[in-house]
Amino acid sequence: MNLVAPTPPAARPADAAALRQALLTDRTGTLTRLYQRTFPMVRRYVLAHGGTPADAQDVFHDALIVLYEKAVADTLTLTAAPSTFLVAISRNLWRRELQRRGQAPLTELTDEQAEHLPAEPEAPAEAAESVLAYVARLGERCQSILLSFYYFRQPLEQIAAAHQYRSVRSATVQKFKCLERLRQAVRTAWAETADVLTR
Amino acid sequence: MRPELTRLARIEQHLLQPNPPSPAESAAWQTECLLDPELQADAEAQQQLYQGLQLAGRRQLRRELQGIHHRLYGPGAAGWLHAATHGLRSLLRRSFGRVRE
Repeated sequence: MNLVAPTPPAARPADAAALRQALLTDRTGTLTRLYQRTFPMVRRYVLAHGGTPADAQDVFHDALIVLYEKAVADTLTLTAAPSTFLVAISRNLWRRELQRRGQAPLTELTDEQAEHLPAEPEAPAEAAESVLAYVARLGERCQSILLSFYYFRQPLEQIAAAHQYRSVRSATVQKFKCLERLRQAVRTAWAETADVLTR
Repeated sequence: MRPELTRLARIEQHLLQPNPPSPAESAAWQTECLLDPELQADAEAQQQLYQGLQLAGRRQLRRELQGIHHRLYGPGAAGWLHAATHGLRSLLRRSFGRVRE
């Protein structure tokens, strides 16, 4: 008789919803586990295809950003483990980078490759770029609340708890106060610029 | 909420709704724009704030990833060894995990 208990499977998000939840509740821990599991494979691939360790790091970070944004926006479809998805994106990003540098012949992508290729990043709009500077000048609390909600897509319940607000409503009001502060700073700057230009 | 904040919330509801607006919602927005001539311009300005926040968030995430990389593979980190032997450890766990218990 076998009295040995089966080993539990390694903790791994089973699907996109689980991955999303894991990223929202423990972003650093989840990204660190994905990093440990996947980066060595990406690094090997990039080094074997003419890249440097820094290139490997860059494409891997781009791939993780794609994964994060898709997962929290609920637009990620996983047909395999997240690490497989990350490797596929990284390989395709590196192929595209090689083509951009003119080191690889331009070949046609297969449908599968094209599916894993994120859209060519657009140059950030000048207006959005100018907003960046004012985000950096907000207080730490406002910056954290706005980025947690609008970029990291954390639920307001979580934001309220993290910033010791007594209710979601208080956190919501604070979020809009921060947004108002940002709008005011940007509006003043734009008005001053327009003023200088019309003088 | 103050009226100014309620206005921001109304514009946000219009800009960030997950699905395309229904004809009734579109009509309501158009009516509000007729009654409030600055509403459309304010919505465009608010859209630029969201784009700026998207850029700022992406930069923060990139910094966090650099921090993770540094912790795992930076000078003095043992992470590279952990990561390099990850495959071997998984194999050993699969092969001997049951026996150990």
